[in-house]
Amino acid sequence: MNIQVDHIVDAKGLACPMPIVRTKKAIGTLAAGQVLELQATDKGSLADIKAWANSTGHQYLGSVEDEENNDKLYKHYIRKSEDLDVKEEAIFPHTIQNSKLELQLNDSTHLNIIDVREPAEYVFGHIPGSKSIPLAELEDRVQELDKEQELFIVCRTGHRSNTAANLLTEKGFINIKNVVPGMSEWTGTVNKNE
Amino acid sequence: MATKVAIIASNGGLFDAYKVFNIATAAAASDAEVGIFFTFEGLNLIHKQGHQQLPLPEGKEHFAEGFKAANVPAIPELLAMAQELGVKIIACQMTMDVMHLSAEDFIDGIEVGGAATFIDFAKDANISLSF
Repeated sequence: MNIQVDHIVDAKGLACPMPIVRTKKAIGTLAAGQVLELQATDKGSLADIKAWANSTGHQYLGSVEDEENNDKLYKHYIRKSEDLDVKEEAIFPHTIQNSKLELQLNDSTHLNIIDVREPAEYVFGHIPGSKSIPLAELEDRVQELDKEQELFIVCRTGHRSNTAANLLTEKGFINIKNVVPGMSEWTGTVNKNE
Repeated sequence: MATKVAIIASNGGLFDAYKVFNIATAAAASDAEVGIFFTFEGLNLIHKQGHQQLPLPEGKEHFAEGFKAANVPAIPELLAMAQELGVKIIACQMTMDVMHLSAEDFIDGIEVGGAATFIDFAKDANISLSF
């Protein structure tokens, strides 16, 4: 499985505490919201990277196990936390609560849900049938979407989807709903890409 | 609030060095503020020549191969990393006087201070460790 990331940290063959030291150094070079992949063979790195994310406030997305040259290779995914003082933006007026969307999903055969999180976030859990278009790519991929159709925009906490909803409205979309709060509190079914 | 870690290092063997520097670098890499007070044999761990050839405990010499096989970083490398991550290193003045050592005998970038210097750093630490 290949997950699109902004930066890869190679800590293969290195013992504790090197994997997190390398991660710490690399995360400083990323912009907020970008995703880093840590490659490690240290079995302790799975527990350590979660604890590290918890201490530092960066978002742990998930891990996958691979094999390379008969060795276990762990790939851990981290998203750099957003600055807290993000600029205030117009709040998109049309929202739908998680719970209501979940009900509609049960009733309807198909809803058009656009997930604007990073690909690595999408991989570790998304609403079944949702389409992945990371916020940064949305403007270039607008033609993939139907302006008249009802579209549900979702991210982790409702911020990026708010931006996406504003952007789509500017582009002439007329039937957009921002899903709040988003995947951070989603209790319905999720799919994972294996 | 940021985590603050205060460590006392008072033993001078290779195992002691790993305990001290692994915890210190892991904490610093997790955005904690870290300070280590080196006293008595602990001064070995930051001595210019001494830290490059720290002894294994008697009868445990065979662990040398294990360290190599597990690709554990060498102590000078860990120490440099700790300093790069901003770990504060305080050498104990009193022990230095007893052992006739001066600041020039130690790696660069250290502070020299007494017990009060460490206490002042440690007074609001969330984690205090002694090795």
